[in-house]
Amino acid sequence: MSQLQLDDIQGLIPHGYGRLGFASFVLLAVRDAESTKSWLKTLPIRDAGSRPSADDSCVNIAFSYSGLAELGLPESLLQGFAGEFREGMTGTEHRVRILGDHGPNAPEHWHWGGRYRPAVHILLLLYAGSEDSLARLKDDHLADSHSAGLEILTQLDTNRLPEHKEHFGFRDGVAQPAIAGLGANSVDDADGNTIAAGEFLLGYPNAYGQYTARPLLADGDAELDADNLLPPAPDETGMRDLGANGSYLVFRQLGQNVSAFWRYIADQSRRADGEVDLSACTRLAAKMVGRWPGGAPLTRSPDHDDPALSSDNDFLYHRSGDAIGLKCPIGAHIRRTNPRDSLEPQPGSDRSIEVGKRHRILRRGRTYGPALSLPLTAEDLINAEPDGRERGLHFLCFNTHIGRQFEFIQHTWVNNPKFDGLYEDDDPIIGGRGHRDMPGGVFTVQAEPVRTRVTDLPPFVEMKGGEYFFMPGIRAVEFIASLT
Amino acid sequence: MSHQSALTIIDEIKPDQVESLKTALGTIAAPGPLHDAIAFSALGNVHFARLVVFDQDRDLDGNPLPPKLALLTNFDGDVDAHIGAIAGTCGGGLDAVFSACVHYPEQAAVSAARREQYLRRHRVKEKALYVNRQGRTVSQILREKQLRDEIQRHLDAHPIASQSPAEVHRAIVSFVKDRSDLDWALEPEVGPSELWKRNELVHRWAGLALAVLLAPVFLISLPIFLLVLRYHEKRDVPDDSAASAESVRAFRADEDIWVHNQIIAVGVVKPGLFRRLLTEGMLKLTDYAARHIYNRGFLSGLNTIHFARWVPMDDDRRLFFSSNYDGSLESYMNDFIDKAAWGLNAIFSNGDGFPRTCFMFCGGITDEKAYKRFLPTRQVHSRVWYSAYPDLTTKNIANNAEIREGLSQTMSEAQAADWLLRLGVGNRLPASGFVARLLDSIRWDRICRNCS
Ligand code: HEM
Repeated sequence: MSQLQLDDIQGLIPHGYGRLGFASFVLLAVRDAESTKSWLKTLPIRDAGSRPSADDSCVNIAFSYSGLAELGLPESLLQGFAGEFREGMTGTEHRVRILGDHGPNAPEHWHWGGRYRPAVHILLLLYAGSEDSLARLKDDHLADSHSAGLEILTQLDTNRLPEHKEHFGFRDGVAQPAIAGLGANSVDDADGNTIAAGEFLLGYPNAYGQYTARPLLADGDAELDADNLLPPAPDETGMRDLGANGSYLVFRQLGQNVSAFWRYIADQSRRADGEVDLSACTRLAAKMVGRWPGGAPLTRSPDHDDPALSSDNDFLYHRSGDAIGLKCPIGAHIRRTNPRDSLEPQPGSDRSIEVGKRHRILRRGRTYGPALSLPLTAEDLINAEPDGRERGLHFLCFNTHIGRQFEFIQHTWVNNPKFDGLYEDDDPIIGGRGHRDMPGGVFTVQAEPVRTRVTDLPPFVEMKGGEYFFMPGIRAVEFIASLT
Repeated sequence: MSHQSALTIIDEIKPDQVESLKTALGTIAAPGPLHDAIAFSALGNVHFARLVVFDQDRDLDGNPLPPKLALLTNFDGDVDAHIGAIAGTCGGGLDAVFSACVHYPEQAAVSAARREQYLRRHRVKEKALYVNRQGRTVSQILREKQLRDEIQRHLDAHPIASQSPAEVHRAIVSFVKDRSDLDWALEPEVGPSELWKRNELVHRWAGLALAVLLAPVFLISLPIFLLVLRYHEKRDVPDDSAASAESVRAFRADEDIWVHNQIIAVGVVKPGLFRRLLTEGMLKLTDYAARHIYNRGFLSGLNTIHFARWVPMDDDRRLFFSSNYDGSLESYMNDFIDKAAWGLNAIFSNGDGFPRTCFMFCGGITDEKAYKRFLPTRQVHSRVWYSAYPDLTTKNIANNAEIREGLSQTMSEAQAADWLLRLGVGNRLPASGFVARLLDSIRWDRICRNCS
C-alpha cells in the first residue's frame, strides 16, 4: 500500500483541525483569472505534514467546477472529473430529487450555491486558534480581494459550541472512518472502521482496490505542466495525475430549527397530566440520533447517558446484539448514515462490513450561529423562546466517489423511507419529509412488546446553500496557479 | 390463488413512426399523450408493465436491426387468459400504441380476436424469468399493505401499556376480527394451484435428473471447455467507450421517482457458435436456478428484485435484460458488484463489449469503473412503466405477508414476541434454501484474487 504523501495533501482532509476553534469559509468568484492565479501563488496552503498546534493558523482551498474552468483548466482535463462534480449539486433534476432538495429545501431558496445563485468558484477555508488570528488571516489574504481578481460572495462564519456539541445539544464529530496508512492506522481492516485511503484521496487504491477516475494529463501535453508539478499516475503509465492527493468536498449549509425540534419532542413526551416528561424527551431525542447528548452510543448504553462512553465508537449493530433496533432504532441518524454490519448480504458478517466500507465519508463540518440557550440541555432548549436567529451546521465532507459515498448515504439511507426494512420513516434529524407518495416524517422506535412510533415529524433542518468542490493536492494547486 | 408469469410482445415499428411514437409515449418523468393509453391497472392482476422502444441499430457485421416496440408485463395467472384480457379490456389502448408497428392489423380490421391473434404471433418467450416470490398476487399484496397500515394506525391510537406479547397479539387479532374490511386476513392465503405446484416439482426433478445424466459428459469435456473459454476470453475486446453525459442524464431523469426503479439493457451476443451455446446454457441454468434455487426472495444474494427477465431478439443475435428493483441504480450496480458479480458475469460476459472476465465468473463487473461506464452504453429507455404498488419494496411485501400469516396462528409468548417485532421493522427475510445459501457463501473475491 502506498504511503500517503502528506506534504501534498491539504491538512483539513486528514487532520480536521479540531484544535483550531475558529474557522471561516469564504465563497469567492473569480473576476480576473490572471490576478487570481498570482494570488493563488502567494497563498500559504497548509499541508498535512504536521498537525497544527493550538495557536496555528491554516489556509486550505477548494474549487468548484466552474471555478476550474474560469481559471483556464483545459477541457481535456475538466472532462476527467467525476460527473457529479461537473454537473454540480443542483446540476440535474435527478440530483435535486435524490438529495431531497425540494419544498423549503429547493435550490430556488438557497442563499448561495446552485444554479439560481451567482456561481461560486473558490472556497477558501480559514482556521485559527483565536478570533484575532482568524481576523488576521482574512486580512492577509482577502483585504485586497479586488487586486486578487476576486469578488467575495459570502463569508460563512462558524461558532464552536461547548463540548463539541451541535445545536440540538448532541455531541458531534465522534465517529469517523480511520484512513488506512495514515499515521498509526493499520492498512488492514480487521476493525471494520479502517477504510482504504482511495475512498477519501484520489490517486490511491479505493475500497474496490481500484484507482477512482480522475483527470490525468498525457505526457504528450507536458507543455501544460512545464515545471513538472504533477506526480506520475500510479495506475497509468505515461500520465500525470491532477487528482493525486485531492478529494471532493461536499458542502451543505444546513439551518437547524432547534425550537421546532425540542418542542416537537416535548409534545410527544407529555405525561397524562400534560406535564413534559424531561427524561422521556431526552430518551426520544437520543433514539432519533442513536447517541445520547453526551455522545454515548445507544447500542452500548441503551438506558442512560454514560460519560465514559462519550467518544465510544467501538460497536457494530448485529454483532453487538442490536439486530432489530431495540437499543439503537433502525431509523436513527447514526444508524442510517453508517449501518456498520447491518447491510446485505448476511448482516453481521464480514462481507456485510466490507459492503459498508464502500459508503463512508470523512466529516469536517462546523456549527454556526449562537446556541439557542446554553448549556444546551433538553430542559433549556425546550424552555427557551424561539429567537429567530440563524444557526445550524456547515456540513462538509470528503469523498472520492460522490455518487457512491455522499449521494448514496443521502439518498439510499437518509432520505429513503424503506431503509433496512422500514416503511415510511426518513431520517428523523435531517430528513426532508413530504415528497410525492413517500411522505416520510414517521419515526419508529423498535421496542418490546411492540414498537412505539411518532408521526407527522416536521423538518428540523433546512438547506441554506451548497455546492460540490474539489480540494486539490498542493502541487495541483500550484499547477492551476501556473496555467497560462 | 395463482402463480406469476411474464409476457413479452415485440414487433417492428414502421420506420417513419419511430419518432412520433416516442413523442406520443413520452418518458417516465415526462409522459406524453399516449403514455397511459394501455390501462394496465384495469386488468387488476398486473404487477409491472412497460413499453420500450428499441431504436434502429446494427449487429456486429453491420447489418441493420430494425426499430422495435416491446410490451412487457408481469401478472398473475396464465398467459392465455392474460392475452385475452389485454386484447379485450386494453384493446383501444393497444390499437393506439401498436398501430405504429409493421404487423398490427389495419384499423378497419381490428377486433378483440385479431388483437389476440396478433399478440400470440408476436409473443417472444423469455429465456429466463425471475420472480421474487411465486404465489403472491397483486390483490394479496395490496390487501396486506392495507392490513399492515390499519394495524399500525390502530396501535398509534391505542398505545400498549403493559401487556405480555401474547396478549398484544390477541388484541391485534381481535381488532382485525372486528373490522369487516380486514377480517379476510384471519384466514391464511391460499397458494398457487396444486396443478401448478406439481408441474414445478416435476420440472425441478427433471432438471436434476438431466444434470446427473449429463455430469459425466460435463466433467470429461471440462478441460477442453476451459481451454476454449480462455481462448475466447483473451480475444474479447471490452468496449471502453463511455455514453455521453447527456444520454446518462436522460436515463437518470427517469429514475428515483418511486421506491423502485426499472432497467433495460440490451446487448449483442458475441459472434461464434461457442458463445451462442454458452449463452443458451447459462440462461437455461439461470431460469432453472431462479425457479428452484433462488425462489425465496433472493437472487444470488440480492433481495431487491421484484421481477427480472432475459429475452432474445433478432433471431437470438441480441438479448435484453429487464428488471424491476428497489432503490437507486447506484445501489443496484453496487449490489451487482458486491454480491452477484459471479452470476451476472456468467451470463453477461457473452455480450459484446462486456468488461473482461476471467474463467467466466471472475473479473467482469467487479471492475467497478469499467462496469459503471459500460452499463449506460447498453441501456434502453422504458417509455412507459407501470407498477401496481410503487410504494412497496420486496421487504415490505414479505413482511406484510408474515404479519398477516401471524394473525391465524396461536402463539406462545416467544412466538408472539417475535411476530410483534415485525410491526417495528421488516428487515428479517425468510432464509434462502440450502443450495442458494451454499452458492452465496462462495467467497468469489478470494477465489478470483489472482485471476485476470
Ligand atoms: C444539521 C444536520 C446534522 C446534524 C445536527 C447531525 C448530527 C449528528 C450527530 C449528533 C451525530 C453523532 C455523533 C458522531 O458520531 O459524530 C452524527 C453522526 C453522523 N452524521 Fe450527522 N448530522 C447532521 C447532518 C448530517 C448529514 C447531512 C450527513 C450525511 C449525509 C451526516 C452524516 C453523519 C455520519 C456519517 C455520522 C456518523 C455515523 C457513524 O459512523 O456512526 N450527518 N450526526
